[in-house]
Amino acid sequence: MIEIKGMKFPLDRKYYTKNGAHLWLKFEGDFIKIGMDAFAAKMIGNISFINVNRMTVKSGELIGSFESAKYISKLYAPVSGKIIDVNKNILRDSSKINKNPYKSWIFKIKPDNKKDDNKYIIEDEDKIISWITEEIKKIEIK
Amino acid sequence: MKLFNLGELDWKQTQLIYHALAYKNIESLVLHFSRNKYISVGLHQDPRDELDLNFCKNNNIGIFRREIGGGTVLLDNNQLFYNLIINRNNPIVPHFPENFFRKFLQPVIETYHELGITAEFRPLCDLIVKEKKVSGNGGGEIGNCKVLAGNILLDFDYKRMARAVSTQDTLRGKFLELMQNNITTVKKELRVIPSKEEICSILVKKFEGFLGNMTEGSVNAKITKKMAELDKLYSSDKWLYQRGTKQIGREIKVREGVYLFHKTFDTKEGSEGITCEIDDNTVKKVTFTGEYFPSNIDKKKFKEKLVGLEYDRNKLANKIMSLIKTYGVVAYD
Repeated sequence: MIEIKGMKFPLDRKYYTKNGAHLWLKFEGDFIKIGMDAFAAKMIGNISFINVNRMTVKSGELIGSFESAKYISKLYAPVSGKIIDVNKNILRDSSKINKNPYKSWIFKIKPDNKKDDNKYIIEDEDKIISWITEEIKKIEIK
Repeated sequence: MKLFNLGELDWKQTQLIYHALAYKNIESLVLHFSRNKYISVGLHQDPRDELDLNFCKNNNIGIFRREIGGGTVLLDNNQLFYNLIINRNNPIVPHFPENFFRKFLQPVIETYHELGITAEFRPLCDLIVKEKKVSGNGGGEIGNCKVLAGNILLDFDYKRMARAVSTQDTLRGKFLELMQNNITTVKKELRVIPSKEEICSILVKKFEGFLGNMTEGSVNAKITKKMAELDKLYSSDKWLYQRGTKQIGREIKVREGVYLFHKTFDTKEGSEGITCEIDDNTVKKVTFTGEYFPSNIDKKKFKEKLVGLEYDRNKLANKIMSLIKTYGVVAYD
């Protein structure tokens, strides 16, 4: 577990970093559970709505949206595959993500290919630290 | 950055224009106002939950479901609209919503100041003067752009808004009262309404001071074509009535921190309801509706358990249902 400025990043999962996505990916057998990390949970404000479409997707493709602070952000697929499940409890009360991001999986995807070579997916401790440090800097500058 | 100072537009065009510019990736400031009244709902809202559709139809009030966030709002000729469209990778764009609103609403705040109104930013994205909302805003990602959309309330038709929302008739009066107490307008603050042209010229000056000089844009054939394409999509029932996840209870927002929350439940005698008035994100008042409210529920004690709670829609709904069950009442959502 890494902790940076009070935000925790468990090392039992990977992180999708493209365009400030801040998604965690936990590989469980044939599928991957996906949710938002502590940085997103802290910074984006209280999540009031979330919508994910069950579909077959390519990595980087638009799969849904969420609303926080009267602002709509888009959700993109971190890997190619088929979205096989969406967490109804989170759809009904999306603020659970803010309260407990790592227990609040949003959707499950069955990947086309178990071996991911996506440069935006990281798991190495040093890479996570460096990524989050950069993300914090960006907020401070703007 | 382009400036589209468009003046009066047909109601649907006021929404289509900024969606089309964002999809065409044209960084721009758009200023305009609507010829006709209409209601705009946020992306994650369903007009069937939000509005009295018959009232809207019978009163020629159009309905538009936009791609950005925020709540249900009545828009008309007494409001001036501004839209800011910026590419998501532009280095000046803050990544997170609150910073985005705080930064790009600064020129609007300065515009109010120049008009003689001491507006200030109130998170999430309201502009407030003396604790009353004077401008509503929403935002989001459209295509590769980030969009801010807001209005300067010159005057406001409180009664029509109260009538158009979907709620029990008994709550309309309360909603109207809360709006009148919590939403102000340029007319209320100044006693007069400066011309829209004058306000637009101040907005342009303030945005240019903030973002640099702008060049005049024209709504060319490519933009018009995109607007027509989007019109077809947004006018379809499939888009307009796209049912999202049904939320628990009915929340009517007045401004940040001020809400009416109504929770209905069914007992074997009939449908009953509990209404909570929320101010400063805290439950302030609880009232009961329905003809057969369970007699074994001690209303005074019930109220005491709710008043003072910090407002969280889901927690409040769950609390109400669990309290009802502690009195042995069999109740269903």
